Amino acid sequence: MSPAIGSAAPRETSRETMARARARAALIPDLLVEARKVAGNVFAGWHGRRKRGIGEDFWQFRPYVPGENMAAIDWRRSARDDHVYVRDREWQAAHMVWLWVDESPSMLFKSQTARVPKQSRSLVIAFALAELLARSGERLGWLGVSRPITSRHAAERLGEALIATPPQSRFPTGTEVRNHSDVVLISDFLQPLDEISDRIRSMARNGARGHLVQVVDPAEEDFPYAGRVEFTDPETGERLTAGNAQALKSGYGALFSNHIEEVRSLARSFSWSHTLHHTDKLASQALASLHVHMTQGRGTR
Amino acid sequence: MLGLPLAFATPMILTALVLLPVIWWLLRLTPPRPQTELFPPLAILARLVRKEETPAKSPWWLTLLRLLMAALVILAMAGPVLNPRAAKLAGEGPVVMVLDNGWASAPDWEDRRDAALALVGEAETASRTVAFVETAGLDPAAMQPMDAAAARAVLSGMEPKPLKPDHAAAAGALSRLVAEISPGSVFLLSDGLSRTGTDSLAAAMANAGGQRSVIAARTDRIVALDTVRNDPDAMTGTVLRTPSAEAAAVTVEAFDLKGLPLARRTVTFEPGADNAQFRLDEPVELRNQIVRISVTEMKSAGAVQLLDDRFRRRLVGLISGEAADVSQPLLAPLYYISKALSPFGDVREASTPNLATAVPELIGQGVAALVLADVGTIPEETEKTLSDWIAKGGMLIRFAGPRLAAAGNSALLPVRLRDGDRSLGGALSWESPKPVAPFERGSPFFGLEPPKEVTVQRQVLALQDFDLEAKTWAALDDGTPLVTAERRDAGWIVLFHVSSDATWSNLPISGTFVDMLRRVVSQSNSTGIRGDGGTGDVRLPPLNVLNGRGELMPPDVAVKPVVLRQNETPKVSIDNPPGFYGTEDGFLSLNLFEGGEKLTPLDRSIFGGGVEVSSFARDAAVDLKPWLLALAALLLVLDCLAVLWIAGSLRPANLRRPTGRGAATAAVAALAMALAFTANPPRAAAQDSDADFAAALTTRLAYVITGDSTVDEISRAGLTGLTQFVASRTALEPGEPVGLDLATDELAFYPLIYWPISLNAPLPDAATMARVDTFMKQGGTILFDTRDQGGGVLGGTANSPEAQRLQLMLASLDIPPLEAVPSDHVLTKAFYLLTSFPGRYTGGDLWVEQSVVRNVEDADRPARAGDGVSTILITSNDLAAAWAIDSGGQAMFPTASADITQREMAFRSGVNIVMYAMTGNYKADQVHIPALLERLGQ
Repeated sequence: MSPAIGSAAPRETSRETMARARARAALIPDLLVEARKVAGNVFAGWHGRRKRGIGEDFWQFRPYVPGENMAAIDWRRSARDDHVYVRDREWQAAHMVWLWVDESPSMLFKSQTARVPKQSRSLVIAFALAELLARSGERLGWLGVSRPITSRHAAERLGEALIATPPQSRFPTGTEVRNHSDVVLISDFLQPLDEISDRIRSMARNGARGHLVQVVDPAEEDFPYAGRVEFTDPETGERLTAGNAQALKSGYGALFSNHIEEVRSLARSFSWSHTLHHTDKLASQALASLHVHMTQGRGTR
Repeated sequence: MLGLPLAFATPMILTALVLLPVIWWLLRLTPPRPQTELFPPLAILARLVRKEETPAKSPWWLTLLRLLMAALVILAMAGPVLNPRAAKLAGEGPVVMVLDNGWASAPDWEDRRDAALALVGEAETASRTVAFVETAGLDPAAMQPMDAAAARAVLSGMEPKPLKPDHAAAAGALSRLVAEISPGSVFLLSDGLSRTGTDSLAAAMANAGGQRSVIAARTDRIVALDTVRNDPDAMTGTVLRTPSAEAAAVTVEAFDLKGLPLARRTVTFEPGADNAQFRLDEPVELRNQIVRISVTEMKSAGAVQLLDDRFRRRLVGLISGEAADVSQPLLAPLYYISKALSPFGDVREASTPNLATAVPELIGQGVAALVLADVGTIPEETEKTLSDWIAKGGMLIRFAGPRLAAAGNSALLPVRLRDGDRSLGGALSWESPKPVAPFERGSPFFGLEPPKEVTVQRQVLALQDFDLEAKTWAALDDGTPLVTAERRDAGWIVLFHVSSDATWSNLPISGTFVDMLRRVVSQSNSTGIRGDGGTGDVRLPPLNVLNGRGELMPPDVAVKPVVLRQNETPKVSIDNPPGFYGTEDGFLSLNLFEGGEKLTPLDRSIFGGGVEVSSFARDAAVDLKPWLLALAALLLVLDCLAVLWIAGSLRPANLRRPTGRGAATAAVAALAMALAFTANPPRAAAQDSDADFAAALTTRLAYVITGDSTVDEISRAGLTGLTQFVASRTALEPGEPVGLDLATDELAFYPLIYWPISLNAPLPDAATMARVDTFMKQGGTILFDTRDQGGGVLGGTANSPEAQRLQLMLASLDIPPLEAVPSDHVLTKAFYLLTSFPGRYTGGDLWVEQSVVRNVEDADRPARAGDGVSTILITSNDLAAAWAIDSGGQAMFPTASADITQREMAFRSGVNIVMYAMTGNYKADQVHIPALLERLGQ
């Protein structure tokens, strides 16, 4: 018997929560490092609001207007000529971004062709995005885990918060999402479509703009199985035996791409973006695509 | 068994067949276990699969296959034999075995003896006596009924004899024996061939009563060698076989006296033919050495022909009418003759020019031919000696000359001659020297090229007799005979009408002369033995004789000398088996086959009713064991394939997966690879032509497939984006961009090829770069993109790894000096007005071929009129990444600077580059428009 194509990290019971927390604690710093690397590749194009305001970066020097706070005067510049100048900073309005990563058992799946399990990849994308957003000073929150944080080290803090919380396998309700915030949901979206639809609708009703990242293992799409195969659902433990698996390939392929299309159209119906990501590709691809969606959305608004 | 002629060597093993139901039960219990797989989208799959499809047991056909395999192995172990020996002893009383022990029995003698021994064994069990009747060389002692032990001794001493079986004699012996002992069983162990006395033998058997059985061997392997003829140009012979519808090939080999092989031929029997010819056209010197010819495949006295003196080198005696002048050998009349004869004959010159003593002396030496060069008168006694010798087969060859011309006619000339000779081309002659006419078909010289260079100045002339033409072997251009010959009893008289030296003609110094003499001499018979004396009997002791298997052996004591009687050809007999008789110097060969014979298979119908006819055991018996085992092995392979198929491992996708399946997978992989090899090439060819066709019809942007899939995907997406941009902004509407494999794809259809440099991609080889060079020389443009402007500390300098790789690649190309695009280059004006060419990054220069140095008066031109388009463009700004769009039309990669117009400018750069590649310096020429209009208008 050949080794199975797909495998899953062993599922811990509640008694082993502590062990799991430790394992994740060990995992998350690695992920953070990787996320930093990934984010470093996508540094370009992340910029401010293009007007003066409260921020960290230099924007312009302008003449001092009497009545302004004396502390704003840039004495070094003012010493160069007869006028008194004020250093303006670029306005960087903190944007509220909510992250969420599906941690249901199905996300632990990893096939031979994939580089990492879906869950690991999802966390990397989420943390990388968090790193990127934190650099530009956005407010970051993790749905169901952490309240919004504004910090250069938001990614680490989200990671710490995540360790402390049991894994979330249910779709988030998103009650904390408010107007003008972005929601990034990373999942395989194998949950019943109605449930997903309900939750997204409630978030969209709150005025949030969302980005769905659908993480798919290549084995789930290509269906590389053949012969007599007994399939097990990691979520429900349900079993299904196919006598001649290769015969199912075309039919399954159509159904699965149809499922992806349903998720995509669901996103489109709320004007949310949808990014399909395969675990055999690089995380930076998804990140780049996600980044384009987020920045473009801002441009149009 | 079951009516089939099937027997088992060890039938006990068959009891193992009882185990089959147990095996069946075991097989049913262990179905192939399914592969267990974790599969998150099970809900989606469940919509497709409603219920359990495969039963939890082996498919019935797999069980059947395995049961069959087990049964086959058990059967094979039991050693089944199809068609076991059919002849069995029956009845009572003495057993008589008529044995064919002639030459044709030799190949399968062991089978024959085994069959006889088996019968003897049965006779022993039944306490019956046995008597043997041998058809070749009847042995009276073996005809006495004897017990089994004695019969075995007789049989083991019996060997195939080098004789033809005499069935008539055997019939007589059998009849006497039947009358004497009235046997209960008569067996004929035939070699499968029918002979003249076979009818009477059949009749004798029919009269014998009791059990009568004929066991006939198969004849398809029996071949015989008939007489060999040594013609002047080749040695030819016939190989005989029984008529058969199938083609067959045998090898004929020729050996010299020492047993060294001299020649070898493969002889092929046509389907239906009962004989085949072979031809040994080795040089005559080599052929004369041949004493034994045999068929390699048939070890039998019948497949050997022995050649004696008749085929060996002739002894030729030379006599001249002129005394040999040793001081002037080139003028000696015999010089050229002896030179011409020596390649194929042994020349003996007379010790004295005195004919009366020289002729008997040479004849006494046993010469085959005697050359008389310019001998005029022959003493009467000598003439008589010569005539007798000629009548017995001697060949007299005479050459003309002054003496012959003066002597006039004699009895020892083939034609009557005119007195004197004629001279051509001399001072007093009107005629020119005559050349030799082509040889006539009847002449022994036919087939030789008539010597063009030979001319005849003098000759003796024949009287015009009625039979002159028939006697002429060679003639001159005007029809006068040059060589004439006449047959006298067994011998010949040949006359060359010119002298044997070079005085009358230059024939003796031509190469044709050698061939002519060779053919003349080869007409002569061998003399020596048969011509020796001619009175009384000659007894030739055996030298070497053949045994039944065709081997030359020293004779045993039973072989008697051959007695040569007058007018009697010696015959092969039990006393004189085939072989050499005589002495080393001169011997006679006796052969089993003497020409004009046929091999006829035994007609089984002549043995009337009551006679059982069957074949030898080993001929017909088929051992089924290897076949059954082979079948079982085949089933095993099928079983392996079936198991792999059930387990789903026969799909190409799975084969690529590195799994630990071991040998079985490897075998299947090899099979799949073989299939893949056969399937691939035509598909690729078809694709190429399709791609070329499509490329030729539509203008397309092209990119190089580097082998780095990430880079290639960006290239494709980038050119797709650029294609859409170009189509929406300009009049050019390119087709879908295409990826090119530089090593194989035709490049000529693409005006612009985008080539991103990837460190992960393999370096193109020299042949590929040669194609690139050709493409560039033909006017194509390649846009290299090092994509390194954004990376590294030095970003886009010549020292980045990508730039170094590009330098490495371009090292083999003929690249002109490059410059960064100057501000007045046509690239900056080809469609949009541009100052820089950004991609995903900015700051990197776009490098083009350096334009010709501007003239001073061109300094104020707005655009440079560079001739042609730069064949090479190099950028580091990662243009494709800026152009890249995904399927939804969204840009795939953010640009590197905060400038929101950068992407637009990147696209505009792309448009300018495309326009530049398409239109060349057209835009540069636009600057002349005002001047042109001015000239046209006013």
